[in-house]
Amino acid sequence: MRHSIKDDYINSIKNYTNQYEDTNFRKIACNDFKSWPSPREETWRLSRLGSLSRKKIKPINPNLKKNNNNTSNLVGSKIIQFIDGAYREDLSSKLPSGVNLSVLSDSESLKYLQKIKKSNLSDHPSTNVSLSCTPSIMKLTVSKDTKVKDFFEIIYEGGEDSQSVHPVLYLELEKNSSLYLIERFNHLTSLAMPLQLIELRNKASLNSIKIFNDNEKTYNLSANCVYLSKESYLNSFSLIKGGIFTRSETHAYLNGRNAKLNLNGIYISCNKQHHDLTTAIYHDVPDCTSKQIVRGVLGGKSTGVFQGKVRVEQDAQRTDGQQMSRAILLSDTACANAKPELEIYADDVICAHGATVGELDDDQLFYLNSRGVPMDKAREILIKAFLEDMINQSVDNSLHDFVFKEAELALSSIITKEK
Amino acid sequence: MSLLEIKNAHLKLDDKNILNGVSLSVNKGEVHAIMGPNGSGKSTLSYMLAGRDGYELEEGEILLDGISLSEMEADERARSGLFLAFQYPVELPGVGGMSFLREAVNSRRKFLGEEELDHLAFVKEARKEASKMYVKDEMLKRAVNVGFSGGEKKRFEILQMAMLKPKVSILDETDSGLDVDALKIVSDGVNAQRNNDNAIVVITHYQRLLDHIVPDFVHILSDGVIIKSGGPELALEVEKNGYSGLINAA
Ligand SMILES: Nc1ncnc2c1ncn2[C@@H]1O[C@H](COP(=O)(O)OP(=O)(O)O)[C@@H](O)[C@H]1O
Ligand SMILES: [Mg+2]
Repeated sequence: MRHSIKDDYINSIKNYTNQYEDTNFRKIACNDFKSWPSPREETWRLSRLGSLSRKKIKPINPNLKKNNNNTSNLVGSKIIQFIDGAYREDLSSKLPSGVNLSVLSDSESLKYLQKIKKSNLSDHPSTNVSLSCTPSIMKLTVSKDTKVKDFFEIIYEGGEDSQSVHPVLYLELEKNSSLYLIERFNHLTSLAMPLQLIELRNKASLNSIKIFNDNEKTYNLSANCVYLSKESYLNSFSLIKGGIFTRSETHAYLNGRNAKLNLNGIYISCNKQHHDLTTAIYHDVPDCTSKQIVRGVLGGKSTGVFQGKVRVEQDAQRTDGQQMSRAILLSDTACANAKPELEIYADDVICAHGATVGELDDDQLFYLNSRGVPMDKAREILIKAFLEDMINQSVDNSLHDFVFKEAELALSSIITKEK
Repeated sequence: MSLLEIKNAHLKLDDKNILNGVSLSVNKGEVHAIMGPNGSGKSTLSYMLAGRDGYELEEGEILLDGISLSEMEADERARSGLFLAFQYPVELPGVGGMSFLREAVNSRRKFLGEEELDHLAFVKEARKEASKMYVKDEMLKRAVNVGFSGGEKKRFEILQMAMLKPKVSILDETDSGLDVDALKIVSDGVNAQRNNDNAIVVITHYQRLLDHIVPDFVHILSDGVIIKSGGPELALEVEKNGYSGLINAA
């Protein structure tokens, strides 16, 4: 059952797609968007879109003259800039050899759509709306055997009040290639619907960091579909701190033997923010490994949601799947939900999971106090340690400081506010 | 004037009377031992002194160097010069030993109106003190107490005491879980801190620690009251006859 949508948004999407002639993928996607997900749908029960669906929003027509905000970037990184959901070559770095960025043709876009439709993201609103309304699907390819040394940074900005933005990316790492990718979501818009398809070919390796730091009024419904081939490796880390409502949903398919996946995340939430990390990991073949550490720190009246599904098919023997989630509540009015879900059909597997929600530990606070450390400082030390510990375990050494500082910036507001 | 004064301390936990009128007066330069059977209230007394939440006095008073502690939170008491070496030191995952020490030392220095030590000066000082306690550099890089052996935890407690230079130190069963060699290191560390301006209260269940840290006074705590006080010979009496003889006589 779906509740009826304000026809506005559907109509505006239809109108938007009409500017394009004969682009099948847009038509299909547009037809498939029937309504916003209803809270009766299991994975949307804890993250409801009621107030979003009542907003008057229309897809943005990208302004190709808009300038970027000079966010402080990592030293020496290659920048790929999106504004209003559109790639901006004029504001992006020249790419090194072995890395290619291109616009998908209509027929390639149709294939892109089909690949996503095969996944459990087929009904995700960002799949259908963003494929209808994206200016174009951008494909970033790393060629075979290329080990990219520079960090790549994709910066997503732009948007307008009452408008939605639709950056769509296709990332393919060819055989035996590797890439470090940092993505920053800094939209200032009502709604951002980034959509991504990532394909890692045999022995490809991707280190991915996503930092969700959109404007305080922004809804971000990020949808990510990942296919991992034989012996490929994805080390993914997300930091969710911005927006009024940010949900990052990732479906990862381990399709080749000995593929390895880390799917980690932190959310730092304050005021009335709603942060949601929803993941599904599909072990379809034997001998794959997936590890997941999720931590949340919540203050104010914020809500955190972690939904982590791990499905191990009957054939997927010797699967190693670990999942740990922990949330710390810093105020009485904050709330965290953790919903681990294990579906295991193979018999020879190691799967462990644990989820806890609690407050800072009294014994630890007292120990610090008894050494002269004041309460506020003690809380700060413990919260930072809680996150730093996890960051050190889950992102590459060279990026510890960068990620920790990003987390620290968000923490400063909750630690000083909550008493 | 005594450095630590406990006057008629009464305390309840969960409506149960745990301390039933403890009085104790500790002067500068003195070492006192508090002995007592398990469950007699030794750790409760130490938490009460350190200012743990929930361990507020029902009745009575405590003074540190003449100043009442009752209205002070734990952190303020510590900065004022009270130190508790925990019976069970607490693990702090993700908090590095060195930065923990620095936070503690600088909190105390700020309170004393001294400048915070700069990073290098601090590290030098910490390493010097650490080596005296046989605490290796590698251990200071690790998270506080995480994965430490029993002996390492206790050595790290005494290292903190050495760095903080408290007026009054309460050592709660610092000997428990130590083998003979570790006991010697820890005791030597404590003895090195003894001087004419501070005082130490050693809480222990067994007499053996007192062979190494020789007290000036020994007190027997039973059911939350001090039933007998004396010199070091009292500890030997406990060793010989156990607590029951003393308790029955009281
Ligand atoms: N939180 C608590 N609530 C109620 N009783 C407690 C609590 N903690 C300790 N006790 C009781 O207080 C008494 C003294 O405990 P404790 O001070 O730990 O003794 P000791 O250190 O001498 O072995 C014991 O009977 C113990 O069961
Ligand atoms: Mg005890």
